Amino acid sequence: MREATLSLFRALGAPLVAIAITMALGFLLVASITDDPVQAYRDLLFANFDSLGNFALFLNRATPLTLIALGVIFAFRAGIFNVGGEGQLYAGAIAATVVGVFLADLPAVLLLPLAVATGIIAGAILGWIPAVLKVRLAVDEVVTTLMLNTIVLLFTSYLANQVIRDTAAYGAVSRVVPQAIWLPPMPGVPGATSGFLVAVVLAVVAWVVLFRTEWGAQVRAAGTNLRFAYAVGVPADRRIIGAMLVAGGLAGLAGALYVLGIGHRFEQNFSPAYGLVGLTCALLARIHPIGALATALFYAMMLNGAAYMQISTDVPRSLVNLLTGLLVLLMTARLTAGRRG
Amino acid sequence: MTGTDIILSLKGIAKSFGDKAALKRVDLDVRRGEVHVICGENGAGKSTLMNILVGIHAPSAGEIVLDGRAVRIPDPIAASALGIGMVHQHFTLVPSMTVAENLFLGRQPRRFGIFSDRREMVSRAQELIRRYNFGLDANARVAQLSVGQRQRVEILKALAFDAELLILDEPTAVLTPPEVDELLEVIDGLRARGRTILFITHKLREVKSVSDRVTVIRHGESISTHRTADVSEADIARDMVGRDVFLVGRKGGGAARSFGAPVLRLDRVSMANPHGRLLLDHVSLDVRAGEVLGIAGVDGNGQTELSEAIAGLMDIQAGSIRLAGRDVTRASAAERQASGLGFVPEDRLDRGLSVTMSVAENIAATNYSRAGILRHGFVSRARLDAFAAEKIREFDVRGAQPSTPVGWLSGGNMQKVVIARELQRDPALLVICQPTRGLDIGASEFVYERILAAADRGRAVLLISSELSEIFALSDRIGVMYSGRLMRVLERAEADEATVGYLMNGGEERAA
Amino acid sequence: MTVSSLLASVLEQSTPILLAALAAMITLRANILNVAVEGMMLVAAFTAIAVGSMTGSAALAFFAAVAAAILLSQLLALLTLRFSADFIVAGLGINLLAAGGTLFMLERFYNSPGGLRPTSFPDVWHVPEGSLSFIPIVGKAFEGQSFIVILALAAVPLSAVFLYLTPTGANLRAAGEDEHAARSAGIRVAWMKALAVGISGLLSGLAGAQLAMDKLHFFLPDMTSGRGFIGLAATLFGGGQPWMTAAASFLFGFFGALGDRLQVFAIPSQFVLMLPYVAAIVGLTFARWRVHRRNRPARIAESKP
Repeated sequence: MREATLSLFRALGAPLVAIAITMALGFLLVASITDDPVQAYRDLLFANFDSLGNFALFLNRATPLTLIALGVIFAFRAGIFNVGGEGQLYAGAIAATVVGVFLADLPAVLLLPLAVATGIIAGAILGWIPAVLKVRLAVDEVVTTLMLNTIVLLFTSYLANQVIRDTAAYGAVSRVVPQAIWLPPMPGVPGATSGFLVAVVLAVVAWVVLFRTEWGAQVRAAGTNLRFAYAVGVPADRRIIGAMLVAGGLAGLAGALYVLGIGHRFEQNFSPAYGLVGLTCALLARIHPIGALATALFYAMMLNGAAYMQISTDVPRSLVNLLTGLLVLLMTARLTAGRRG
Repeated sequence: MTGTDIILSLKGIAKSFGDKAALKRVDLDVRRGEVHVICGENGAGKSTLMNILVGIHAPSAGEIVLDGRAVRIPDPIAASALGIGMVHQHFTLVPSMTVAENLFLGRQPRRFGIFSDRREMVSRAQELIRRYNFGLDANARVAQLSVGQRQRVEILKALAFDAELLILDEPTAVLTPPEVDELLEVIDGLRARGRTILFITHKLREVKSVSDRVTVIRHGESISTHRTADVSEADIARDMVGRDVFLVGRKGGGAARSFGAPVLRLDRVSMANPHGRLLLDHVSLDVRAGEVLGIAGVDGNGQTELSEAIAGLMDIQAGSIRLAGRDVTRASAAERQASGLGFVPEDRLDRGLSVTMSVAENIAATNYSRAGILRHGFVSRARLDAFAAEKIREFDVRGAQPSTPVGWLSGGNMQKVVIARELQRDPALLVICQPTRGLDIGASEFVYERILAAADRGRAVLLISSELSEIFALSDRIGVMYSGRLMRVLERAEADEATVGYLMNGGEERAA
Repeated sequence: MTVSSLLASVLEQSTPILLAALAAMITLRANILNVAVEGMMLVAAFTAIAVGSMTGSAALAFFAAVAAAILLSQLLALLTLRFSADFIVAGLGINLLAAGGTLFMLERFYNSPGGLRPTSFPDVWHVPEGSLSFIPIVGKAFEGQSFIVILALAAVPLSAVFLYLTPTGANLRAAGEDEHAARSAGIRVAWMKALAVGISGLLSGLAGAQLAMDKLHFFLPDMTSGRGFIGLAATLFGGGQPWMTAAASFLFGFFGALGDRLQVFAIPSQFVLMLPYVAAIVGLTFARWRVHRRNRPARIAESKP
């Protein structure tokens, strides 16, 4: 137990410096804008808990973030720098929507699992492509996942605008999926999706899979030293591709659960860069699944809190975008003094 | 030329990294115009010493006197300004650039202040090549040159800026035997032109053939300096190791032993590179149960390819491999391990270990199901730790807990982790490459004992090493690799250093 | 639709892509995958409009835009090279910072999160109408283009000269190709990389200035809309060579110009817009596949005893 606490502490140590610097700079900015920076910061962080409604929105925000972060963790543990979370998320969301909209006549017992499964598969395919290219031909995965993001976004834009568009609605928005397959709300927190429970369970499952199964050990072996993995007989190619299927699948699931549990339809702009923020959460948690749950919650707190802050003070909510940029910029830097190669 | 004029003098040089002392006290005098060999085991501190001379490291204590003046060498540029040039073991050439561009990298002649003067560059490069008779094309891209040619570019690079003192760091490690001969000629030529050469090596043969004087370094201290003509290889070896070598060995010389059936059988195994050159040239061999077959040879003559072909890590293009009676020519590494292969690769950091993973996970990597670590399909942390703790005790891995990252251990203890993992399955065939590279004497003896114990249990052992001493100490039969070919396999009784050395250099007939 | 007007619109579409591509190319030659071009362009575009509307000077707006992008590039260089941050993560951070920062400024200082549309904005120099009509077809296409278009075209040979014909360029390539070799030749690798990032800031700044100052004269929160990434795609497709990169940029610019026209034929514009990204993946895969084939071991005749 002691050892677990210690490793958790080590895992949090370095990113905490980046968070602290970012929050401090943010506080200075806020102080220059409003007379009551303390109130603004309180709202930014804690207004999420002022009402059950706020709390529900907070959990809804945390759900896709957690799932994407978990996906990123599987990829990173296998040594793949997956920046394709956004594309995989959109693929999952659009796939679930297309199934929900076009097969609306199916009974819900069939349609719900089908929609979720299609979302997962769509995300997984987007994880599979860069993985195979990387393993077979050593094509740089950062480039492929980055390019695939835009390709998917353009493709979903086409579908949302031209194929499944809700003509009565404003903007690139699909028709609503049947109410029968909407996810039930979380028990005790109306307005919050039960998808959050799925995310929490999967965070634990992800930890077990990565650190308590031979498959996980093989993935990590491939990710930390590929030539070592081959030498000890790990089918490293298969493990890397497998990890990327899981990674894409988790991001795809995030998209499907968003549509079924929160948005109930596909909206072209539903993601405030969840892909990148999820990646941020994963890195801040030092690619540890349980840690990622914590950082995703923290980030959801900030993203929603910014809106409350804007209402109560006149600090623009885009402060949080600025701070996110700063945090991402700083988080992999070695800011602790004294150590230089 | 070889007067007593001292060009370089080191006085009490010491260097520590953190609390580890890489160099304790080195004193050295180098005379102008001599070839001076610095000799020592891996890890003795040779490379650290040279890095101090070229300004990569600063000494923690001591004085460097060059041409009678005490100097400070803060960086490689300063070293080159002082006339010290270094040829690194790992080449420092940019493959996509031409020979001329590489020669003048970082100091190209300019035209109008901003443009490269390519014509000037090429003509000066050609002049240099002519002056030293190096037979290179100044406009050839380095990517298209052979290893030996690249090394000559490296040497020219050092000479281009009037290096009086040229340091060669293990220059023969990457060369084929004919290339080694050419290099030795090049060095002779440089000496004739009055250059001073510091030649670093741990190969005794080269010491004798090339140098005027030899200084031995052991555990970070300079032990002795002799005129090469006055000492034998055995004397130098004793200084390097600190006592008489070959403490362990195969008792009885293999004569009275009886061996079992072949466990490994290679039949005309061949491997080619993309240009059609044979890396393995129709290699056939047997390793029988209970015997140690040693493969000697200069690094880079196909030993790596041989071991990786057997381990299932590189594809062969012709021939067949049988392991414990099964044809494994196309089998995966995992299948071969299941058929009884244990594999200790030559570079533990490259293939042997994942340094960021724990000792326990490194030892368990191939053994999860076999070692009973899984419970209901999941890894039991308690069982994993218990298993690792037992291995740590059994193999005397010092300074390690099961959860310690392997990268925190010393080289010798890392090697013990690799060997613990591979022997845990008690494999029918153990392929072990360069088993003591970078290890101290104590760790080396431990490794030797384990190898011999495996053979005594009736396991087949294929030992691949470029250290002749360990080949002779451990093997029942000795094969020699040269240029991708297995020259001959000698019985231990008929193998002496002269014969093996002759085969290592490509000679065929005399041993027949 | 005349050839001249298509050419003109290809030129116009290609210029920001070409500048972004050259920006990414210079850093790629220093072994840096620069994903921050997009963010640097965005900040330059915002600065151009903000300074231009404040001072009424096109020259000030232009130089401020370029300076802002260079400044941002050096922030990236500082964090990656001095504080060893990961280049891709920090680069994505620059993009987020640029998007968030410009949005924050819009909300805070202009109170208009939708964009910044100054009522009057100073115009930059354009090639006068009729001045090049003596050159057939091409001359007409250049008339009315901003001076930044000319700069962008000049940047192609200039970057080639810099990379291949100057000692600094050689040092930069050496630092990118083999750090160890460069360092032992006395080249300061970190400085070379910072220089590459700085040049890419300069070129990104030009790209952002062109976007905002050529015709539009306003700033929108997402006005770069992925051109930085198309530029990166063009560089990768062009294998990091100046002329090939320029060719790829024009090809992608051509797709862009075509995209507007193809909608007439019921081909959704999204599919046309996808082409650069698909081309980058296919091009890169093909290049790797060729390397892969070349590195395959040769066949061996079985017969030899």
